[in-house]
Amino acid sequence: MITLKDVNKTYFGAVPLHVLHDINLHIGRGELVSIMGASGSGKSTLLNILGILDSYDSGEYWLDGHLIRNLGENRAAETRNRLIGFVFQSFNLIGYKDAVDNVALPLFYQGVGRRKRRQMAMEQLDRLGLADRAHHLPGELSGGQKQRVALARALITNPSIILADEPTGALDSTTSKEVMQIFRELNADLGKTIVIVTHDPGVGAQTNRVIRIVDGRIEQQ
Amino acid sequence: MKTTFFDLENWREIGATLARNKTRTLLTAFGIFWGTAMLAMLLGGSGGLQRMLRSNFEGFASNSAVLFANRRTISYRGYNKGSSWTLTTTDIENMRLIQGVDAVAATNGGWSMDVSSGRNSTSASIQGVDKDFLKAFLPTINNGRFLNESDQRSGAKVAVIGLNVANNLFPGGDAIGRFVNVGGIFYKVVGIASQQAEIQINGSKIDDTVTIPLSTLARTFNMGDAVGGVMLTAKEGHSPAELKPRIIRTIRAAHPIHPDDSQALFFFDVSEQFAMLDNLFAGITLLAMFVGIGTLIAGIIGVGNIMWVIVKERTAEIGIRRAIGATPADIVTQILSEGIALTVLAGTAGIAFATGVLAVAEKLAGHRFQIEFSMAAMILVIFLVLGVAASIIPSLKAMKIKPIEAINEK
Repeated sequence: MITLKDVNKTYFGAVPLHVLHDINLHIGRGELVSIMGASGSGKSTLLNILGILDSYDSGEYWLDGHLIRNLGENRAAETRNRLIGFVFQSFNLIGYKDAVDNVALPLFYQGVGRRKRRQMAMEQLDRLGLADRAHHLPGELSGGQKQRVALARALITNPSIILADEPTGALDSTTSKEVMQIFRELNADLGKTIVIVTHDPGVGAQTNRVIRIVDGRIEQQ
Repeated sequence: MKTTFFDLENWREIGATLARNKTRTLLTAFGIFWGTAMLAMLLGGSGGLQRMLRSNFEGFASNSAVLFANRRTISYRGYNKGSSWTLTTTDIENMRLIQGVDAVAATNGGWSMDVSSGRNSTSASIQGVDKDFLKAFLPTINNGRFLNESDQRSGAKVAVIGLNVANNLFPGGDAIGRFVNVGGIFYKVVGIASQQAEIQINGSKIDDTVTIPLSTLARTFNMGDAVGGVMLTAKEGHSPAELKPRIIRTIRAAHPIHPDDSQALFFFDVSEQFAMLDNLFAGITLLAMFVGIGTLIAGIIGVGNIMWVIVKERTAEIGIRRAIGATPADIVTQILSEGIALTVLAGTAGIAFATGVLAVAEKLAGHRFQIEFSMAAMILVIFLVLGVAASIIPSLKAMKIKPIEAINEK
């Protein structure tokens, strides 16, 4: 599903910062993987590259059979929309839209009609047990509910992979467990490929494989 | 290619974002509202003012001059300084021969006399006019007809009476075919006339005048071949100013007037007054445009400003949208549509407001003040174009937002 070959990334600032060194990585279809590392280790950069939010300097990145390199903004947006579902630490829901509209938003950018969009979004929310919260604004939801709405939004386009950036970072331990349980169910029941970036060993422990990244290099398992 | 511009959600979203900061949206909208309203009111107002001023000259030929004989100011060939002289029907005929002269309307009279019919009597000005009169001045004919060439030739005792005179002499009755008594002589009424213009010919408006053929006046009042005020119109392509030297030469040749006595013949170039008026109108229009466009620009800068702030505020949101699949074009469309929506709503309200104000002005002034629909549409289009232009910089800024920036902004 995901293959990285000798991927390098340097930030050219006042002092060039070589963030990722020859990253080689393979994540198969249906895997539940966590990428762990200390802050500054390069794990966020890796996630951004995986999410086509950032470019890389050399090497190859294959996602679901597509070589992801030098995509234009439009192609990148389209690929993100079609292949990737994002879950962020701070949920990143749009505050003035209710849960259904938030979940439906990726479909809006696919040109799906409003009625169809909302129907699909409702189904997705229902599946995550949030049908009764469908018309609440994010501000009216608890942290766990917000993250579930965000998950529903990530799933709505039926993407190849789910990329989660510290998905439990803003949640208490009980809610964290709930959210991780959902990830595990998605992986087990629907066979979703999920990549979770975290520094929390508890989260890492609940995934099937842990990839450790230290100083921009992947530590051999 | 999907276009989000026509998607209902796009517009719901615009409503939602504009409603989020009501005070700021309202203030910006007010800027545009006031800009369009000012522009529409200024254009309508200056148009109305022009129509008001122009109505003072309605019916009066613009390419014309007025001339009449004054007392001599220099003694000449035995005629003392201060002695009077008159233009004659021969002068009129001679002037008609000058190339470039279209019509020469001779008039005489202008004396205030008692006019009566039966028991009713009133005071009116009496004047005689010849066949060219209608070429120099077109009064409103309220009833009947004006004097015709046959009346002129035969010296018939017929009269066109002013509307006020008719109302005084024949209250509630039809005056046409009845007779009016002017100084013991009876004239048959053939028409009733009035005028819009404020200009007075032979000392009064036609509403307060009894107009008879010049030939009839000359015989009745023993005027011989003398005429009073002359109205002269120039042909298309000629101007009174250009004809003036030849006219003066023609008249001087027939009368003992000192060559340096420029005041003995009064020559008033009406076309110059019209030209002056035109310049005044041009000035008013220019001023209206200048002030209006200034207000407009201020309003538009307001739109640009608010869009800029909106983009700044929504960096995170735009980043999320980009992350979940919005293309830069989607974002630009969104920001531009917000600017367009704001401009169209506030601009339409502004024009509606101006239309109301102009309607009131119209009622009060009695002249048309309203702007034309095409003008209103044009103002709106100008606003739309400028509104879009003002939103372009903020939307380009929004377009450049990378999803990664927004997500890092926690």
